[in-house]
Amino acid sequence: MNPQSLHWIILLPLIGAAINGLLGKRIGRGNVHLVALGAIFGAFVVSAAALWNVSFGGAEKISQLWWHWFTIGSVPVEMALSVDRLSATLICVVTGVGFLIHLFSTEYMSHDEGYWRYFAYLNLFVAAMATLVLGSNLLVMFVGWEGVGLASYLLIGFWYTDEEKAYAGRKAFVVNRIGDFGFLLGIFALVALFGTIDFAELQTAAATLIPSAVLQGGVFAGWTVTAALTLACLLLFVGATGKSAQIPLYVWLPDAMAGPTPVSALIHAATMVTAGVYMIARLSFLYVYAPGAMATVAVVGAATAVFAALMAYAQNDIKKVLAYSTVSQLGFMFIGVGVGAWWAAIYHLVTHAFFKACLFLGAGSVMHGMKDQTDIRLFGGLRKEMWHTWATFGISTIAITGVIPLSGFFSKDAILHAAHANPNLWFSWVPTVTYVLGLIAALSTSFYMWRMFNLTFNGERRGMKEHHAHESGPAMTGPLWILSGLAVGAAVWGLPLASGARFERFLHGVFAPAEANLRRVTELAARELGVAVPPAPGHDLAAMLPGYLIALVVALVGFGIAWYLYLGPGKGKSALIAEKAPGLHAAFANKFYVDEFYDSVVVRPLKGFARVLWQVVDSFAIDRLLVNGTAVLSGWVAQLFRYFQDGNVQRYAVVMAVSAVAVLWVFLF
Amino acid sequence: MATVPLAHYLALASALFAVGLAAVLVRRSALVVFMGVELMLNAANLTFLSFSRAHGAQEGHAIAFFVIAVAAAEAAIGLAIMIAVFRSRKTVNVDEVDALKY
Amino acid sequence: MTPLLGVLVSEAWVFYPLAVLTVGGALAMLLSRNPIYAAMSLVLTFFGLAGLYVLLSAELIAALQIIVYAGAIMVLFLFVVMLLNLGDADLEMPRLSVGTIVGGGSALAFWCVSWMVFQHLPEAMPATLPEGFGQVASVGRLLFTQFILPFEATSILLLAAIVGAVVVAKAKI
Repeated sequence: MNPQSLHWIILLPLIGAAINGLLGKRIGRGNVHLVALGAIFGAFVVSAAALWNVSFGGAEKISQLWWHWFTIGSVPVEMALSVDRLSATLICVVTGVGFLIHLFSTEYMSHDEGYWRYFAYLNLFVAAMATLVLGSNLLVMFVGWEGVGLASYLLIGFWYTDEEKAYAGRKAFVVNRIGDFGFLLGIFALVALFGTIDFAELQTAAATLIPSAVLQGGVFAGWTVTAALTLACLLLFVGATGKSAQIPLYVWLPDAMAGPTPVSALIHAATMVTAGVYMIARLSFLYVYAPGAMATVAVVGAATAVFAALMAYAQNDIKKVLAYSTVSQLGFMFIGVGVGAWWAAIYHLVTHAFFKACLFLGAGSVMHGMKDQTDIRLFGGLRKEMWHTWATFGISTIAITGVIPLSGFFSKDAILHAAHANPNLWFSWVPTVTYVLGLIAALSTSFYMWRMFNLTFNGERRGMKEHHAHESGPAMTGPLWILSGLAVGAAVWGLPLASGARFERFLHGVFAPAEANLRRVTELAARELGVAVPPAPGHDLAAMLPGYLIALVVALVGFGIAWYLYLGPGKGKSALIAEKAPGLHAAFANKFYVDEFYDSVVVRPLKGFARVLWQVVDSFAIDRLLVNGTAVLSGWVAQLFRYFQDGNVQRYAVVMAVSAVAVLWVFLF
Repeated sequence: MATVPLAHYLALASALFAVGLAAVLVRRSALVVFMGVELMLNAANLTFLSFSRAHGAQEGHAIAFFVIAVAAAEAAIGLAIMIAVFRSRKTVNVDEVDALKY
Repeated sequence: MTPLLGVLVSEAWVFYPLAVLTVGGALAMLLSRNPIYAAMSLVLTFFGLAGLYVLLSAELIAALQIIVYAGAIMVLFLFVVMLLNLGDADLEMPRLSVGTIVGGGSALAFWCVSWMVFQHLPEAMPATLPEGFGQVASVGRLLFTQFILPFEATSILLLAAIVGAVVVAKAKI
């Protein structure tokens, strides 16, 4: 494959977006579908070729310098793309799952008037995501970062005539912006430290860093390398919390369910929200020098995983449950990158993309059949009416709860195993805390997923009794089957073999520098602390077996409780619990009042401040005082001067003569 | 047997100029204003000729020649305008010709 | 030494009386109420100036002064007085107002300021002059060679002045 054709992965969807956006209304529904699907399929083909190339071809990495953008100071900024095994995997997931979701959308959005706009935005999203993944320096990644944020805003607020939906889009954009600010500051910090934004150059520079060295000049003069890098990595992580919906910037994701369901599947489950994980994995060789940052990532991830899972307990909107589930699963991925199990986090990213997309599309199928209703309390017994949806949804639920032999089990367990097995010399409590929180989150995941499944598909219909739900057409059920098949089949990459899982070995080259750096840093720290260097975690099955068993038990316990409360003898007990502890139930149902807290602490003061700026500074001081005031002042002064114009020419001559004499005086003296 | 110094000629010229200026600024009849202008031009002529004599150069004479010609033309036009104004306003008082006021 | 009425006298004897005459005429023009008196005072001033020009060896210009200024321009002024029938009442004397005082004061100030220039001038005029200085032939030669362009332009200017004066002053175009 010609390395100079990487840019087609970005250009094809971009051109598709342009055609659909500009001409979509005129070329008709069929042509719009053709253009959109064709563009994504083309991008997928190129991505697959790139993946093949870095896996079996000669080079481990393909680079393409698209064009030189600008140079600032001594830092050149190029529009350069590169593909290694990590980004190839991700871009194939993006374009592949993206293609399936485009296919799904052709039927799902068939009744919508703004279909051409929808497909244009969707293509735009894929183009931006490709830019993010393929970028070979921080700034190109940031361009893609912003681009997906834009596409997300456009798609969440797709039905913009509805105020609430428009506000949801705005909320997503604003919260993301806060994260982006952190990201930018992180980029600036890295430029200040290393003088470059190129990933390859950063990797080279990072290979020879001494953690305790004190920096001499520049912005971070007097700081140790570790301290400066910790700051930079934490700032970048703030960006990741925004884009990947972790504490404290996750609040936009549940609201983002206002957009069309395929959008939620693509953007808020499979691809965009994983950008934060990708970014940290990309910069893994830097993060290992900042153990504080890594610990923060892991703990925040674990806390988010649990917190979001708890919020999902009492949700009754099918999409909201899945949204909180996504936040929770992303937390798992961050645990992975935080404890140094990068391959496990990426593996979970891939499997999560498959089964979460399948779940979301399944929810879309359910909504399609139930006249866009989302309240699961009204569902029930859909198994009989929508068999395909039931089956694929069930397979994906088994995957997400982590039951052998589906891929979700292997990916989640790889993370949990690494969480407690990877040694942490600096924060010895991190392994335990993250493992325990991870287990609680896994238990909760199992519970709320099976709760939702039972309420939706099993049992008897509770509401909309006269409505017969029809199964969706092949354009919708096809992708569902493909995705659930992938959720099953992806397990083969995660099987724990003696030399490490296939996926781990596949990505070994990508994370080798990070692991080398980590070993060096650990040795230095061990020498300083006077302890023995902890051994690298092994791959023997004996060590991993207990963890597997615990995880399996946890998943089954969750299944059991859900069965008991919603299908078995305990029916109605859930309502009893709600009555007995109304405060607790309200807290769960209202998402622990986080949104209300943000509203009163952040939004309201900002709005008040904005009002002050608007009314006092802008309307009064600038508009009335300065602008109008200048005009009024000119008027007054002019009024004053007009008395000089009395028409008496002789008077004018007198003034001239006096002035001339004065000037003469000045010149002669 | 002393010749008159240049300074005296110039002092005379500037005195005439000052009188002409005063006539322009102080008198209210347009006719006298024009006369003041002519007087100022003559004072300039005297200055030119004094310097010409002091430097032995005749260019001053040529310039004085042109000043006279231009002054003649300007006086003709000015008086024609004064006649035209008199026809509509029935006065030559400059104070009363103030239509271009605010 | 200047010949005056056939007698050789020093220049000062000619200059100062002429100067007094000139300035006196000017002041009379400034201060007289009657337009005819003002015009005639100005004629007197022009005659004085012509005499001064002769003293400065500018004989051609002196002649032109009398012919054009005193003879043509002042006659024009008198014609206008006659045409408009301007009498004493039309030449109201200036009131004592701010404008008047400031105007007169600035003229006086100008004269005083100009004294500063005179500090730096050479004491005496040169005794000898080039051959034919100020005579018709030499000034004419200058006019037709070095100053030919202004000369021709002036003729066009005079044409424009004639046409303009006729057009402006006509009762009906």
